[in-house]
Amino acid sequence: MYKHTTNEKIYTSINMLFIGLLFFILCVISLLVGAKQLYLSQIMSFSSEAWLTLTASRFPRLMSLILAGVGLSVCGVILQQIVRNKFVEPATSGGLDAAKLGILISLIHFPTLGIVGKMLSTLVFCLISSVFFITIIRLIRFKNAVLVPVIGLMYGAILSAIAEFYAYQNNILQSMQGWLLGDFSRVVQGHYEIIYFIFPIVALTYLFAHRFTIVGMGETLATSLGLNYVGVTALGLILVAITISSVVITVGAIPFVGLIIPNLAAMFYGDNLKRTLPIIALGGASVLLICDIFGRLLLYPFEIPIGLTASCVGGFMFLIVIWKTKK
Amino acid sequence: MMNFARYFLWILVCILAVTFVFMGAEFDYNYIIPNRITRLAAIIIGGVCIAFSSITFQTITENKILTPAIMGYEAIYLLFQSLLVLYMGMESQIVIDKNSNFFLSIGIMLLYSWVIHRWLLAGENNNVYLLLLVGLVLTLLLSAFTQLIQFSISPGEFSLLLSYSQASFNRAQLSQLTIAAVLVGAVCIIIWKALPTFDVLSLGRYQATSLGIDYQVFIKRHFALIALLVATSTSLLGPTAFMGIFVANTAYMIARSPKHRLTLPSGCAIAIATFLIAQIMVEHLFNYKTTVGILVNLMCGTYFLMLILRLRKAS
Amino acid sequence: MIHVNNIHKSYGTKSVLNNVSASFPAGQLTSLIGPNGAGKTTLLMMIGRLLKVDSGEIFINEQNITDIRISMFAKQVATLRQSQDFTMRLTVEELVAFGRFPYSRGSLTKEDHQAIDNAISFLSLEPLRQSYIDELSGGQRQMAFLAMTIAQETDYLLLDEPLNNLDMKHAVEIMRALRRLCDEQNRTVILVIHDINFAANYSNHIVAMKSGNVYDSGSVKNIVTEENLKALYEIEFEILQSKHGIVCNYFHPQEEF
Repeated sequence: MYKHTTNEKIYTSINMLFIGLLFFILCVISLLVGAKQLYLSQIMSFSSEAWLTLTASRFPRLMSLILAGVGLSVCGVILQQIVRNKFVEPATSGGLDAAKLGILISLIHFPTLGIVGKMLSTLVFCLISSVFFITIIRLIRFKNAVLVPVIGLMYGAILSAIAEFYAYQNNILQSMQGWLLGDFSRVVQGHYEIIYFIFPIVALTYLFAHRFTIVGMGETLATSLGLNYVGVTALGLILVAITISSVVITVGAIPFVGLIIPNLAAMFYGDNLKRTLPIIALGGASVLLICDIFGRLLLYPFEIPIGLTASCVGGFMFLIVIWKTKK
Repeated sequence: MMNFARYFLWILVCILAVTFVFMGAEFDYNYIIPNRITRLAAIIIGGVCIAFSSITFQTITENKILTPAIMGYEAIYLLFQSLLVLYMGMESQIVIDKNSNFFLSIGIMLLYSWVIHRWLLAGENNNVYLLLLVGLVLTLLLSAFTQLIQFSISPGEFSLLLSYSQASFNRAQLSQLTIAAVLVGAVCIIIWKALPTFDVLSLGRYQATSLGIDYQVFIKRHFALIALLVATSTSLLGPTAFMGIFVANTAYMIARSPKHRLTLPSGCAIAIATFLIAQIMVEHLFNYKTTVGILVNLMCGTYFLMLILRLRKAS
Repeated sequence: MIHVNNIHKSYGTKSVLNNVSASFPAGQLTSLIGPNGAGKTTLLMMIGRLLKVDSGEIFINEQNITDIRISMFAKQVATLRQSQDFTMRLTVEELVAFGRFPYSRGSLTKEDHQAIDNAISFLSLEPLRQSYIDELSGGQRQMAFLAMTIAQETDYLLLDEPLNNLDMKHAVEIMRALRRLCDEQNRTVILVIHDINFAANYSNHIVAMKSGNVYDSGSVKNIVTEENLKALYEIEFEILQSKHGIVCNYFHPQEEF
């Protein structure tokens, strides 16, 4: 009777292995590609210059790419469980816009607090905004699933309007546009470490994966299974807020990753998070790596910000997902 | 009692219009007042566009919290303007005069609307919400492009672009206004003739079909008209985002009737009044420290959130 | 044994339950019947602690349910709502495994696997074990959810209109399974049901409700009579005894043609 289960597990592990291998290759490519040429031979011969590039810029960049990818896709899946809608992710629930607003407020009102102030204010804004969004979605109970991201995007646009109002009055509209677009070229040693926050978040999410899946079954069913529904939802929102804040502060806004990867994973492996979470995490990191490598090579030696490549790749894939659901 | 609110609205519009034209103008009939009358005309045309497009759009989509402006038209418009500035810099103002810019913008937005409608409304089983979602996704995609462009131009060029990305009435000139007026007038007459059908449509898609309306044909045709209205208002005034939602819903409230014969005129009055109030506030209260676009967005955005919360109470 | 004592519930000024008292005998199948808006589902949801009571108490085996921790309560009472509207892609086996959450909190033990297998074979769902629930028919889906509730291994099962939208074959399958749960495993099943014939033929005990009050309760024989049903539903009934059970005819109870 357990036979089926074992087969399923082997199938998943083979796939995991494949994704893991792909991920590893992407990491190596990412370390070698860039404005400054770097060859494997240089690294092998311990050329000090090559190693400096590697440790001061390439490695931080790789780490932040991986963590941002993992964080965003995990965020997406948690939000999707909480809202119970496949189209929700930080960009379609006002999360990214709230983070922008938070950064802006900290820049204008608490510039002396530095990175701590930035993180705190972003965190607060993300949390408040996501609680508000979820309250709205819960209360209205939209009949059509597609309406939820529509409302989310509009909600995000309102938050952006408020940010614009502020930025216009303080004459920083243009620079705001700049740091809103996700960009990894700013990542260097000493200026990106906040993104390591994502490590414990992902670990916690994995620990709670089973509970998040139950949350996705709805409040009544979850309560009937003895789950502390409100508690787990609150925890999920806090995890999401921390992830979004650290990503937006270090690299800027990257839309769609949190949407595409969980949807693709669900198509092939279902929604049992205990099983799919590793796939989602690796998938998110791989997609960001691919986007980043493309962005670095396409107009070499210039770099296209990842916010743009991810928007294109992700937006395109999202349209395909929509197309599939239509059929 | 019912009529009173509507009359009051029009009286308010007249008072606001007179205030706008004469306030602080010192009866300068040579420059200030003619200039303001041109802007008043832009406000009226824009207001009519927004009211007609959003109210009919909401009827077709059977949803009171949507507006056609967010379906990607504004993003296309901004992208076009950004590209112009990127490739021609400050000279774009000379190479492409305001008239050609106006027509080019309308043309590009109509082309866009034709493409996505062809793609999404092609099948039997079309879903208007999907159309919306695609529009929003494209908006995100296009604004990423626009952001990139804005990031890579000089501050001078940026402030030029900024004037396009914010709704404003100073852009339109007499020649464009005349053309826009004719265009909008024609579209409005066509819509006005179809009002009884719109009334039936507010009963819902299936009910309307069983009452003998060819739903597919009807919405295809009227989506095209709505696209024309949105394109005109956008290239005349710039993006107005949520304004449509605000206008439509206050119109339902004041008209106290779902009949389009009543809601559409109220909607026009509300749109015009809103624009006038925002413009007067920018000129005399904020001393140009903010823009009409930002004010309208903030006002209507807040209203939108309140509306959503109220919707819940009703349900 | 579940006792409900003087339960009151109102939404705004509209009261849904007026001082309802009732008891549900252990090890039996109890049907909650009555016209729409009688408060049946509300009462069921309150017993399952999914709705708060305004006043009054509910006891399970002489223990007030508010004194039981939610995580413990889920080992005693399992509730299945009317429609499962979620669109998650889970296999039947994964879904049933979630019924073990109250015990394992996520990491399944040997006993959990045993309970899952039992629940699946109890409803003969083995062929569907690896199918995704969003690809099943309505009846199969309902069976899968019932299996999850069974795997929860609670003494009490609360089901809200489990036969809603099912064809006759699946409806009979589900009712037989519930009957077997009582007879073979001595579990207590309480369900809200509209089909009076299913209620009459499969339950031991009936609680009839009308406009927020308990109209009558007792054994099937005492409740399912022509006068009672007529007064309860305000339509004519004709009750036919057959060799294998009873049939309530409310379609054409009198000579009309």
